[in-house]
Amino acid sequence: MNREIAWRVFAGEYNDATTDVSDGGERSPSYLVTPLGAKINRLFVVGVLTDVENVATDEAPMWRARLQDPTGTYHVYAGQYQPEASAALAKLKPPAFVAVTGKSRLFTPDSGGTYTSIRPETVKVVDEGLRDYWILDACRSLKKRLEAVREAYKMDPVTKEELAALGIKPPMAEGILAAVEHYGKVDLSRYSAMLADAVRYLLPEFQPPKGEDAGPVEAPAKAADAEQEALEQTVLGIIGELDADGKGAAWDGMLARATKAGVDKDALEEIVNSLLDKGLIYEPILGRMKKI
Amino acid sequence: MRDEIAPHVQDITRALGGKVSEQEIEKELSNYVNVYRVSLDTAKRSIVKKHGGNPAHLSLGIAKTIRELVPGENSVDLLVRIVSVNEKSIDSQNGARTILYGIFGDATATVPFTAWEPLPFEPARGDVVRVANAYTKEYRGQVQVNLGVRSVVTREAPDALPPAPEGSGGPSPSAARATPVKIVELREGSSNIAFTARVLGVEKREVDVEGGKKTVFSGVIADETAKSQFSAWKDFELHEGDVLRVEGAYVKSWRGIPQVSFDERALVKKLEDGALPPMDELGRSPRMWIEDLSERGGGVDVTVRGILIDLKEGSGLVYRCPECKRVLRKGVCRIHGEVTGTPDLRVKAVLDDGSGALTAVFGKDLTEGLLDKTVEECIAQAKEAMSQEVIRDELADLLVAQPVEARGNVTSDDYGLMMIVDQAKILKVDVREEARAMLEELEGPA
Repeated sequence: MNREIAWRVFAGEYNDATTDVSDGGERSPSYLVTPLGAKINRLFVVGVLTDVENVATDEAPMWRARLQDPTGTYHVYAGQYQPEASAALAKLKPPAFVAVTGKSRLFTPDSGGTYTSIRPETVKVVDEGLRDYWILDACRSLKKRLEAVREAYKMDPVTKEELAALGIKPPMAEGILAAVEHYGKVDLSRYSAMLADAVRYLLPEFQPPKGEDAGPVEAPAKAADAEQEALEQTVLGIIGELDADGKGAAWDGMLARATKAGVDKDALEEIVNSLLDKGLIYEPILGRMKKI
Repeated sequence: MRDEIAPHVQDITRALGGKVSEQEIEKELSNYVNVYRVSLDTAKRSIVKKHGGNPAHLSLGIAKTIRELVPGENSVDLLVRIVSVNEKSIDSQNGARTILYGIFGDATATVPFTAWEPLPFEPARGDVVRVANAYTKEYRGQVQVNLGVRSVVTREAPDALPPAPEGSGGPSPSAARATPVKIVELREGSSNIAFTARVLGVEKREVDVEGGKKTVFSGVIADETAKSQFSAWKDFELHEGDVLRVEGAYVKSWRGIPQVSFDERALVKKLEDGALPPMDELGRSPRMWIEDLSERGGGVDVTVRGILIDLKEGSGLVYRCPECKRVLRKGVCRIHGEVTGTPDLRVKAVLDDGSGALTAVFGKDLTEGLLDKTVEECIAQAKEAMSQEVIRDELADLLVAQPVEARGNVTSDDYGLMMIVDQAKILKVDVREEARAMLEELEGPA
């Protein structure tokens, strides 16, 4: 009986997962499977805590935290069955570099859609150095998977034996098979771009210039800001219109409307995150957005 | 086909005591084999039975060389030399009895054998024997020859087989097919392997074995890939620093760690010093991924880099039973009851490198170093706080989410891998430098 590995996986990949698998058996663990075949029961992530709040009652609190990495946002939920993690979250003030070890969760509400989250085991404030070290670890992990999946996609059908012949170990091969079965062959360019961006994130030469050097780029930045603002207003409008019953606007509806308005899924996620960060909207229940 | 079938026709005729003519049997046998396509073995047995004979009197199985053997042969004939033979007594349903085991060799390979019935002569090492109607099984991925009630073993002239190459004192099982392996590839249960390694240390010990005391020379060997413990059951005059070529060794495991053994059956040669990198280089602890350790079942003096993601129960200030060293719970030892415990400091943490996880155990000295205080200071601190937990909490603050490099022996049991940490240090990685290298790999050199 080996302990479950703590995966270092970027939010961008983790949140793309829409399926989980279990080896059968009543007590066997379940694993969330990402499109690249990471088969995750436990994960270790380090990011910036941007938001923590009690979304239930004072008597039985449920702490929800958002943790950001260079590729996206993890949602962390801790309740009464995670006393240590809850106690730690309750004390945290964003922003902070935070390390979380926890179990993967996939939630599929009747209203449709799938949502990933983390049920934390340990929560700890760390420093920027560890965050950078983690990004490097996560990059290595993503790179290894990308390379394996790229090879797997050359096979038809993808088999464990052929993967093994390439030196891909059985646990990874199983993850890739499960991923291909559920997602088919996905567009890998999204993930190679994610990898390259994350690596660059660690290097000062790729950071937007700060201070005095910022002068020349200020103007385009302003233009981008204005564009972003307009989009945010559009999305806010959509949320307001869709929130007919007072329970908030459902994600699927928002996505349909946004697509019509020329905003794709990734852009919509970004705008919604920005609105959440600005405190203009909130998430009363998982998957629904409401104006404040 | 006719030529191949002829000896079997004679065999059947003989088993039937000449009751049926060879022509008739030949026709029948060819009918079974060519028309009905049953195996030669089955065909022979049915023909003998059909004519009222006893199939056990058939002596000619399918003649094969050792290299041709596969697991699951029902009746196979071999012409082999006895490379080694030993007696062993076993408890069977009919009381204790003696069986023979050892190694057969021919020009193609060697194979372990077991004779479940007494042989008609006293077998000795070097004898050439003809074996009829042996059967084979697979044990830990290796073919094994078994001699049962049906098997017939006869001694042949020593020149019926070419003499075995001279090894260290007689025919060697390594004469033919010792499988070459690197130390990192050692797996429990492999036998007749060949490797080249340097002796990093060796000592002579007396051990109790069945039938009295035995001298064993044990220590650590290494090649470029890994280190391993070894046991040599004969004095090969090994010295620290020797570079050895060993053929015909086997692998056992101790707490999951594969380790190599060899005895008088093995061929041990000393090579020139330059055949392997020098002592200090081989003495270094190789860096390994936990998934590879998990596959091997452990490792000797390995280095792992990962993050301590959790501190386990029983870390910090503990009290041990003075009798058995077990950690006390509420002042009580599981075996010796209420005792006055001896204080100790330790850490049991989960070390995870992204490929796997192991339990890393840090003893007193390392833990004192991590905390930068002594056991006595910890006891004082715990008294003041009126709780032993303060030490654990302090360790958790220090260690959880901390990248470390740990070096030690890794063993395994039902609960997974465990490293007894010899040396540990907080890992400082130049993230930027590694990121640049990775970017270069992704995009090609700038």
